[in-house]
Amino acid sequence: MQKAERLLDLAAFLLRAAEPVSWREIQEQFPEDYGGSSGEAAIRKFERDKAELLELGIPVRYLAGDEDLSAGYLVDKEDFYLPDLTLPPEDLALLYLAGSAALAQQAFPYARDLAHALNKLSFAARAPGASEVAASATLHLSADEAAGPEEGEAARKLELASQAVAARKRMHILYAGAERRARTERDLDPYGLFQQGGAWFVVGWCHLRRALRTFHLGRILSLDVNGAAPRTPDFPVPKDFALAEFATREPWEYRVHEPIRCRVRLDSPVSPEARESFGARARWEESPDGAVVEVEATNSEALVRQVLSLGDRAELLSPRKLRLRAQALLETLARRSR
Amino acid sequence: MAARAPTAKVDSRDRLRRVLFLVPYAVRHPGTRVGDLARKCGVSEKQILEDLDFLLGVGCPPFAPDDFLDLYVEGDRVHVALHQSFSRPPRFTESEAAALAAAARALGGEGKERVIRTLRDLVPRDRRAMFDELLNRIYAGSPPAKDSLLGRVQRAIAERRVLELRYYTATRDQETDRVVHPYTVAQRLGHWYLYGFDSARRRALPFRLDRVRECAVTDSRFDPPAESEMARARLFSDAQGTPVRIRLGPLAAAWALARPGRWQVLKRDPKGGALVELPGVSDEWATRFALSLGGEAEVLAPPSARRHYAEAVKGTLARYRKSMRRNA
Repeated sequence: MQKAERLLDLAAFLLRAAEPVSWREIQEQFPEDYGGSSGEAAIRKFERDKAELLELGIPVRYLAGDEDLSAGYLVDKEDFYLPDLTLPPEDLALLYLAGSAALAQQAFPYARDLAHALNKLSFAARAPGASEVAASATLHLSADEAAGPEEGEAARKLELASQAVAARKRMHILYAGAERRARTERDLDPYGLFQQGGAWFVVGWCHLRRALRTFHLGRILSLDVNGAAPRTPDFPVPKDFALAEFATREPWEYRVHEPIRCRVRLDSPVSPEARESFGARARWEESPDGAVVEVEATNSEALVRQVLSLGDRAELLSPRKLRLRAQALLETLARRSR
Repeated sequence: MAARAPTAKVDSRDRLRRVLFLVPYAVRHPGTRVGDLARKCGVSEKQILEDLDFLLGVGCPPFAPDDFLDLYVEGDRVHVALHQSFSRPPRFTESEAAALAAAARALGGEGKERVIRTLRDLVPRDRRAMFDELLNRIYAGSPPAKDSLLGRVQRAIAERRVLELRYYTATRDQETDRVVHPYTVAQRLGHWYLYGFDSARRRALPFRLDRVRECAVTDSRFDPPAESEMARARLFSDAQGTPVRIRLGPLAAAWALARPGRWQVLKRDPKGGALVELPGVSDEWATRFALSLGGEAEVLAPPSARRHYAEAVKGTLARYRKSMRRNA
């Protein structure tokens, strides 16, 4: 029997059963699949099928049995069937909008799962109305920018990386570094994925550098996931690993040098966008003619760029060395643009 | 070199996941159209018909005639005679729930922690720990500045209420009042947009959420957009005007071209630098972008963009020189 068919037959069988079904009975009902040859091989095959059913959302359990109930396998219906959902309309809208907006991006981890999730959501919520219309609108919005081959490739890499993250499987990547333009091959234990400025990054333990490293998915030229023993993790994720530390890091917070305190003046009115661009850890002092923002930089070159991008409405105040660096950059640019 | 995907395995799994939704959906919506099912599942009608064929072979021991799934197509409508316990879809798998939760977290809004709890409850009990773990390992970006703004926008979308916005237009550096029928939100290139019908301008437009200064939900309701109207919807207007030409140094090129964007690379130099063109961006944007790359980029054309850039450099430099003298 074909595997897909066998899995569904097995699910239907266990769903219909009122009591746990013994291994012997399963063998009798599926003689071609679990009968025959050695008992060991049949059990292993059944265990693999059980694991696949679980991955599809069908929880098959073994019950040890007691005086009233014989031992065996069953699907807990309460734990299988998607329940109905009553959510306030704005919460439902949030889920629909978030899900469809994520799908409308060129790449999102677990994009396939997300599509299934939205279908299940509409089933569970019964009468989604406005929210579902809004969700389909989001998908329309990016249909016109249909993914070219490059975007398709990016989406596939992200999908593979997200599978590796979920299953904790080691990846082997060919990476094009930005600074040294050399390509390097390395093994990577992927701990997590994050998005910044519309691009996706994978963070993990780099076996080449023997350190935690962040990789831009767009610069991963090829990616292979260890296919051996797909359900056995290759590595643990350290308890103290915190993805947010990487994901919310501003460029001037990358660890390049010892921390230095920097002050920047911004002229009034300071736009919310400009304010936000200094990140969550910035400290602000307001004054009638503007504001002074203080940040701690461990990659001061990036802070110089951040301030320059705000044009003549912003000025690096201190430290003096950084201020001179900004001025020197501007002198060069001014000479060039004359 | 390409990323390798185990295709055959994915196909069989995809089919299983699809039919586990498709059967209950057809049970709940008797006579649903093949085309609707195809749209819902994101596959072709042919694929759906093949799925239905496949399902006819699925059943439950002892495989008597009544033990098989029984679905039939009449005209182009699907009916289910026997569903064999597949009357509702399975609960969310941990990756389905975690993907949706990560997306909700990135969108923000007042309800986000509440909906994440709801999603968790929709996962089978002994997979919830996996859900928690997975959610900690995906970060889809930070929500737009003000959470409360998003809450209001979401409510307006859900209840089809008209919004009154005070909106900042960067290209004109001015704030205007807009009356908008909010259709949806979308995130592209690192920014969140509200997409809706602007009453005064009589057409649907995108509004960047971080440029909404004020936002009020009114009591008046609007009709949902027609499917045909949405089919014409665009998040970015077709690039108009002369594209901006920028020269990127080797480091800037490596960095910038790896980001999503609508670059057109005109020339690569052997050292890795590039000459690129970007359609539909303002002079102001081009200047800000070039300056954000330090000494590694320069706006070249068109003349207006070049002028804007040169003046910004000159003006900023003057500011530094002036306060240098003051401090000297």
